[in-house]
Amino acid sequence: MNVYIKNILRFCIIILLQVLILNKITLRWWSEPSGFPVFIPYVYPLFILLLPFETPVWALLILGFIMGVSVDTFMNTAGMHACATILIAYLRTNVLSALLPRNLSEYAGQHPSIKSMGWMPFLVYSAFLIILHHFVFFTLELWNFSNFGFLLLKIVASAITSMLFIIAYLLLFTRQSTSRI
Amino acid sequence: MRNFILFIRRFFNLILFLALEIVCIILIERTNTLQGNDIVSSANTVSGIVYKKQSDVVYYFGLRKMNDSLLNENAHLRNEIDHLHSIDTLKDSMVHKRINPTDSNIHIVKFADYKYRTARVINNSTNASDNYITINRGSNDGIAKNMAVISGTGIVGRVEHVSAHFSSVLSILSSKQKVSAKLKDGTNGYIVWDEKQPDALLMTDVPQQVKVKKGDSIYTAVFSIFSPDILIGTVVRTEAVKKNTMQLIYLQSSTNFHNLQYVYVIENKMVTEKKQLEDSSAKK
Repeated sequence: MNVYIKNILRFCIIILLQVLILNKITLRWWSEPSGFPVFIPYVYPLFILLLPFETPVWALLILGFIMGVSVDTFMNTAGMHACATILIAYLRTNVLSALLPRNLSEYAGQHPSIKSMGWMPFLVYSAFLIILHHFVFFTLELWNFSNFGFLLLKIVASAITSMLFIIAYLLLFTRQSTSRI
Repeated sequence: MRNFILFIRRFFNLILFLALEIVCIILIERTNTLQGNDIVSSANTVSGIVYKKQSDVVYYFGLRKMNDSLLNENAHLRNEIDHLHSIDTLKDSMVHKRINPTDSNIHIVKFADYKYRTARVINNSTNASDNYITINRGSNDGIAKNMAVISGTGIVGRVEHVSAHFSSVLSILSSKQKVSAKLKDGTNGYIVWDEKQPDALLMTDVPQQVKVKKGDSIYTAVFSIFSPDILIGTVVRTEAVKKNTMQLIYLQSSTNFHNLQYVYVIENKMVTEKKQLEDSSAKK
């Protein structure tokens, strides 16, 4: 499949998944006794994480902006998601070149995945950027530093669930191309 | 000039990054002011249509619950009608209305012109720090900004963005919104959201000498944007504030925000006149 069509399809799938299913899940089963914060898993940064290796930074930035603003439109947060997504789009190339053994230009025609990078580097790469994204987003959303512990708890809890959902997405949507003989 | 172009080419990515971040910050800044921005909100046509399609599918699963709540509301309205029939005097645009047939207090209520419109909830959130609800009525149906929104069981919020066919409502589960409320005996205070939990509200500015019991009902005040005497919630516990003589009252919201299906949008025809008067006297 053409790489452009594939990514446009992925954009639509991820945004519908985020808006129609994940936003409806309110994770609050711990919240009753001790005031544990409510949170939503955010999976949509995965779109930025899975773009091909050779995507130039300006394209990443613009795609990140489009993705962020689309999610903002659905969630009435006007710019907060876009702000966080642009930041991870900007840092993506640096994180990738720090983690990969070879130069980025040698990975032509591939995209970051468990198959091309291996489990550990991919998890470090996605966890780092997801935590960064959540940190920026929740800080902007709360904009209240009097209750810093609450903010941190919200970021950590949300980041862990987001990572679980991202791993589930990857296991579901990665094609098993190994031929079984 | 050549150096300038070289500089731009060298730092193009950084400049683009900073420019986009500035655009985002402007967007965030604009929503926090009152003008709001209608483009990046769920009153937008595209997201409105997506949410409407989803709501068409999910709608059928909630029909049984909704029937029950409509029945309850009908019963409540029938009671109200019976009470209104017992009005006996009418003088100078004042109506003497008996709130409860058994108690002999007579409350005086001024005429206010309210118009109710029904709307269906097509998107709903309870887990952000400012929660919005999208409804399937817009300016074509006569909805305007700052109208009050209630459900069959209690208050919901205030209309914030309006497009032709949809509008988004800032629910009371938001840090940006305060609602005037009163206790059973008429003491006024403010309702704010206890941000940590959905369905938990706080009432502030109530003096400590006012006795509040667990299970008491809290209603909207006469001067709030809502029509008066709409149930807000019931008291769960109270807490004295040490630094002044006020007490905090924790409420359980009577509206269940998790399964809102239908809401009423209230148009108060007197509100512009009242606002103009208040603004002109505030200037002096």
